[in-house]
Amino acid sequence: MSLFLERFVNGLADGSIYALLALALVVVFRSTGQLNFAQGEIGTMGAFFVSTLTLTGLPVWLSIGFAMVLGFLVSAGVERIVVRPIEHRNPGAVIVALIGVFLAVNQIVAMIWGVDARSLPSVFPDDADDFVTIGGAPIRIARLGIIGVLIVVLFLLWLMFNKTKVGLAMRAVANNQESSNLVGIRVGSILVVGWGLAGAIGVLAAAMLAPSAGLTGTLMLGPFLLASVAAVLGGLDSPVGAVVGGLIIGLTEAFIVGYVDFLGADMLFPVMLVILLVVLLLRPSGLFGSERVERV
Amino acid sequence: MSSGSFLSVTGLTAGYGPVEVLHGLEFTVGEGEIVVILGANGAGKTTAMRSISGMISRHGSIEFDGADISHAKPDAIVRAGISQVPQGRGTFTDLTVDDNLVAGGYTVKGSISADLERWYDLFPVLAERRDQKAGSLSGGEQQMLAVARAMMNRPKMLLCDEPSLGLAPLITKELFRVLGTLRDDHNMSLLIVEQNAGMALALADRAYVLETGSIVATGTGDELLADDTIKEAYLGGVS
Repeated sequence: MSLFLERFVNGLADGSIYALLALALVVVFRSTGQLNFAQGEIGTMGAFFVSTLTLTGLPVWLSIGFAMVLGFLVSAGVERIVVRPIEHRNPGAVIVALIGVFLAVNQIVAMIWGVDARSLPSVFPDDADDFVTIGGAPIRIARLGIIGVLIVVLFLLWLMFNKTKVGLAMRAVANNQESSNLVGIRVGSILVVGWGLAGAIGVLAAAMLAPSAGLTGTLMLGPFLLASVAAVLGGLDSPVGAVVGGLIIGLTEAFIVGYVDFLGADMLFPVMLVILLVVLLLRPSGLFGSERVERV
Repeated sequence: MSSGSFLSVTGLTAGYGPVEVLHGLEFTVGEGEIVVILGANGAGKTTAMRSISGMISRHGSIEFDGADISHAKPDAIVRAGISQVPQGRGTFTDLTVDDNLVAGGYTVKGSISADLERWYDLFPVLAERRDQKAGSLSGGEQQMLAVARAMMNRPKMLLCDEPSLGLAPLITKELFRVLGTLRDDHNMSLLIVEQNAGMALALADRAYVLETGSIVATGTGDELLADDTIKEAYLGGVS
């Protein structure tokens, strides 16, 4: 039982990171209809930036804050400089361009920070004895902290989308860009804000993952793939779906690696792909994706 | 072109890519006036509307309320006081009725709660459904919502792109009655493009006939209603 509980919490913690990243993907997809392939790499870049800042003696939480600003600016820049000009000419080419951005950011990170692994301090107490015992299971505080971060981010996003003018504008733009223009919303600015927000969330996810996973140039490769699966699983246009999908993937991962010996960590991605295929066959719009209610 | 015009359009050309749809349109709308542009499918009605609201690139001169908006962007045109009810309603289908209206008041600084109540009073059916998603409303209700949303940013002029499209005659009648109310009780100026000549002309102070991108006739609503060629083309033969 205690082992189960430990794996459950670890699964939720990893799932929280996938959920954050999936949320970022969904925020972009809802407004622009694009899957931002560079989402993970922008996060990796942010995590390296955190490491540089902490080496100057800045507190970790403040470093993460600055790195999130960097993530916001880089991601917003990608929308403004790469996505928008291309989208007008050939929407399909945006996918290729975003794969290009993925490669570019990946290489820029290697150029600036090298290819050696670094360790990134956790923002939470993360020494060997920093755990609480729940139901006989030792649960690391840093793991609980990550779940807490997801909850806080969800609450802030909910506030923004439902209680602020810019949030309403983002929902309007996601639903109907033409009409958004006609009510006086500057659609371009809203898209930039949406991409920026996603960039910041992606950096946060990377900064949460790096302390346990080790900071390397490929930090976010696996998580990005899993988060994409999570986003599709939950429904690409559903923030709720992204979170549920992320947690499902995290738990599945923890239990497969923990309990199914003959599959183990190596078979993780094939198993995820099978899950994805089954869900898409049964529910093409994902668990929470909208099959739009519309009367004409 | 009378200098007293509220909206005055001169030499308006516009199109999509190499295809020119409008060939030098000239028309005016006076303050507190309902002007109807009558035209068949493909005559360029929607293109004219989208030109005025800045949604497509256009050439020529568009003056509104003393300001040159020929090259203004959509959000600037909304802020100048022109609000469009797009063809096919264009409601935010995933948003609630209430959120649709609040989004409609996007450019208004300060509180919009009085505006909300005013338009809920004029459209009681919307008040009943304020927490429902707009996509679940009937076509007529969505059209009312589109009109109410357009009024939320306190416009001086309303552009309506084929408001009767897809509506039952009774609903259209109710809709046109409301549009008349906006003119009579709220001193709104309206430019309406329509295929539905009968009801639109009955409501109109003045009207233009648009054929393949050019104005071919003009007069008061009553004059055009009495015109045999108009009857033949837009009213299904001489009645």
